[in-house]
Amino acid sequence: MHEWSVAEAVIRTVVNWANENHVTQVKKVKVGIPSFSFLDVEILKEAFDTMKSDSPLGKAELEVVFKDPTFKCRNCGLTFSLKDVRDQLESLKGEFGEEYPLHLMPALAPSFLKCPKCGSHDIVAETQDITIDGIEVEESGTAQTVG
Amino acid sequence: MEPLRQLAKEKLRGKKAIAVMSAKGGVGKSLVSALLALSLRGAVLVDLDVHTMATTKLFGLEGKLHEVTKKGIEPFKLGELGVVSLGGIVKDKYVVLPGGNAGEVMESLVAYANLGDANYVVFDLPPGLGDEVLTLERLTDFFPVVVTTPSAVSVKVVEYVMRYLNERGKRPLLVVNMAYMDCGDGKVARPFGDLKNAEDLAKRYNAPVVELPIDPSLESYIGKIHEYDGVVKGKVKKELVPYLT
Repeated sequence: MHEWSVAEAVIRTVVNWANENHVTQVKKVKVGIPSFSFLDVEILKEAFDTMKSDSPLGKAELEVVFKDPTFKCRNCGLTFSLKDVRDQLESLKGEFGEEYPLHLMPALAPSFLKCPKCGSHDIVAETQDITIDGIEVEESGTAQTVG
Repeated sequence: MEPLRQLAKEKLRGKKAIAVMSAKGGVGKSLVSALLALSLRGAVLVDLDVHTMATTKLFGLEGKLHEVTKKGIEPFKLGELGVVSLGGIVKDKYVVLPGGNAGEVMESLVAYANLGDANYVVFDLPPGLGDEVLTLERLTDFFPVVVTTPSAVSVKVVEYVMRYLNERGKRPLLVVNMAYMDCGDGKVARPFGDLKNAEDLAKRYNAPVVELPIDPSLESYIGKIHEYDGVVKGKVKKELVPYLT
């Protein structure tokens, strides 16, 4: 259900950007999402399509790119990937169910994930929240991508 | 482009944001936040103290999870009051976060909360001048309620916040919590010192002062603070609320 809030955040941001830049029609919005948030793409797209009407995004398509973050432990220096903490993530999902904390707030990752080598919570992730990575607009009949 | 920040800003648009803050811990920010939010009509209390989440303890919400709907994180309802806390996301798990993450979590909490048609959003901030203050400044033009006790050390530490707010062009309200105890027959005891230090501080920053009394019975309302209707709440209603409405 949280996907609806994410879609709203994306739409409001892009609509504001379009208004500020006098863009009347957006063709595509490319969104980056940390993979460990386990957002449901189908629900996200359904929410996006439902809420985008009557705006410059009326005909826009949503492209979702899941990003596997690289983590770095600031305590022991280990760099590790999602597969190294997969068991921790599964245990967390098992405990909380659908609305598990990292689904709602990926920035909570250091609270719930530990460095697999030293056990520290002092970890940083390269990608820790939703990003708008590109907007494709229709200008004078040609498509332009804004990064 | 920052989608979370954008959504958080829009959620707060048109609402009066009140930040209950202090440079000092243990002065009663969460209690003042709770009693203030309970005294305002149409308020949502947002617990931005993401490390301690005292609000859930005050209202007896420990271990409860927020419902998440298409409209976002649904506040816990206590009568007319809505309460949003990270405690409703992480249950009883401790929260340990590097600085930057704490700001993002606070922004997420505001962005995803369903604030509905609330007139007031009361923010309970952690002590100090960290990410929480900077985050809130990015989101909205809040009204600061600064809490201290009469103690000289508390007042001296709280001056950092007053000075900062002054430099940011804000005129806070100073609440002196645990200022006195009513002993009956018109007698008042001031176990944490007289009001002079706090009054001098308020004068230096042209801030109105509200004194709140000590009420030992408050302790028995921890976990059900919404049921408390004693002298401290009476003073909050009578003297604090008029500054904010």
